[in-house]
Amino acid sequence: MDGLTLFIQQIINGLRVGSVYALIALGYTMVYGIIRLINFAHGDFIMVGAYALFFTVPVMIAAGMPPWLSVFAAILVCATTGVLVEKLAYSPVRAKGNKMTALITAIAMALFLENLAQTLFGANPKQVKTIFDLPQVFGVSGNTVLTIILGVVVMIALSLYVKYTKTGQAMRAVSEDKDASLLMGINVNRTITITFAIGSGLAAIASLMYVAQYNQVTNMMGSMLGLKAFVAAVLGGIGIIPGAMLGGLVIGIVESLSKAYIAPLTGGLITSAFSDAIVFSILIVVLLVKPAGILGKNTGEKV
Amino acid sequence: MLSIKDLHVHYGAIHAIKGVSLEVNDGEIVSLIGANGAGKTTILHTISGLVKATTGEITYNGVNLRTTAPNKIIDLGMAHVPEGRHVFSRMTVLENLRMGAFTLKNTEQYKQNLETVFKSFPRLKERAKQLAGTLSGGEQQMLATGRALMANPKILLMDEPSMGLSPILVKEIFRIIETLHEKGITILLVEQNAKVALSISTRAYVLETGSIAMSGNAQALLEDDRVRKAYLGV
Repeated sequence: MDGLTLFIQQIINGLRVGSVYALIALGYTMVYGIIRLINFAHGDFIMVGAYALFFTVPVMIAAGMPPWLSVFAAILVCATTGVLVEKLAYSPVRAKGNKMTALITAIAMALFLENLAQTLFGANPKQVKTIFDLPQVFGVSGNTVLTIILGVVVMIALSLYVKYTKTGQAMRAVSEDKDASLLMGINVNRTITITFAIGSGLAAIASLMYVAQYNQVTNMMGSMLGLKAFVAAVLGGIGIIPGAMLGGLVIGIVESLSKAYIAPLTGGLITSAFSDAIVFSILIVVLLVKPAGILGKNTGEKV
Repeated sequence: MLSIKDLHVHYGAIHAIKGVSLEVNDGEIVSLIGANGAGKTTILHTISGLVKATTGEITYNGVNLRTTAPNKIIDLGMAHVPEGRHVFSRMTVLENLRMGAFTLKNTEQYKQNLETVFKSFPRLKERAKQLAGTLSGGEQQMLATGRALMANPKILLMDEPSMGLSPILVKEIFRIIETLHEKGITILLVEQNAKVALSISTRAYVLETGSIAMSGNAQALLEDDRVRKAYLGV
């Protein structure tokens, strides 16, 4: 394989994983944009959705229906999980504590979900049946193309929703000023619940596309995916919807290129095993150079 | 009628409001004057439910406001223009006004209210598409007032509408308050600018460190020696 073909192949690989990061990052950024909470459990909602698919896809197949229809079951499960986590964990903490307590609670919820899944389903990876049978498009797998298209559709739909609908506008109002929102008659708690339902429901779409591409579910899958998507959201500008999309694709490509080229470039000193470290070092660089992210405006908001 | 009886409010160990009683009858402009930190804003926040009272009674037309959720108060016909405007700065002027009408179900009513607000504040119409954060202080005060009017309130709680505004704008804002009053809106006005507030009010209460020090006819208070010395700088 010549150099250019290899390079293009790596970009395609990057898009494959990056498009999944982008979908996850959209949910991350949605919740952050409205309630300024980095929901570290968001990655684990992907895992919850993936298990929902693992159990419902065979049912769909047995019923003679297209397996991807399971995504609706997964959306329901994820949205319910998200709303429960918000109601039972985040909301009480938000009422009593500060941002830091909320953040730590989010990390606790992530660990809780991972361990709950291990207790319920074991630690061994489970194989999910093929969900899509899509043709390649110009040498790129159909699943990757579909993931990117879904990402763009979700990005546009979310942007329009937040910009133009009354509930979407209420979300922005709540994110800016809770007290003033209350004075307008906006039910702040319900608005936050809707935000969580949408953000977590989006996680199910990311689960679908992850499982479609990688066919595997484990209780720990959400941990690394969530962290990478978090880096993606910060890179693009957390809270900014198109930023999540951009950040996800960039992170995927960086990861893929560093896996392919870091060893030859450094004479074997740094191996491809370091690709995750390189991805996370992006986070450090972003925070040092442009904390608001690529598409962000510098407002001095602390994460 | 808005009625407060023996209201006490604490912020942690601080006893901010110490047994305040006051009344605002329909059709009045009542002002609550007093120095910085006397507790004027706290009283308005307690009426709106943003701050919880320790003890006491707050009712509006017989409805107990202490047990009414803050986001339900607007349904009773009471709107609050907060201190420091609190416009949604990353939203446009029009979006802010739409949030003011959040509880309106009727789109015809919304359009009608929007027209009325634009008629009262032509500047807001010119800037409808502009982000609220880019408006001047006076324009933001107009937006905060217009936003409150979008819900068809019968009573308006106004907190320091003159704060940070030039004398010309202060005059303008108070002229607007008088116009609203002429249209039949009852107003509870909190002001540090006692002279202007008293000059347009029916009655007034003077608040000193959490208690009512004086109350009565606004014109009489304007001529009272103690008020003149303490609040009017004469």
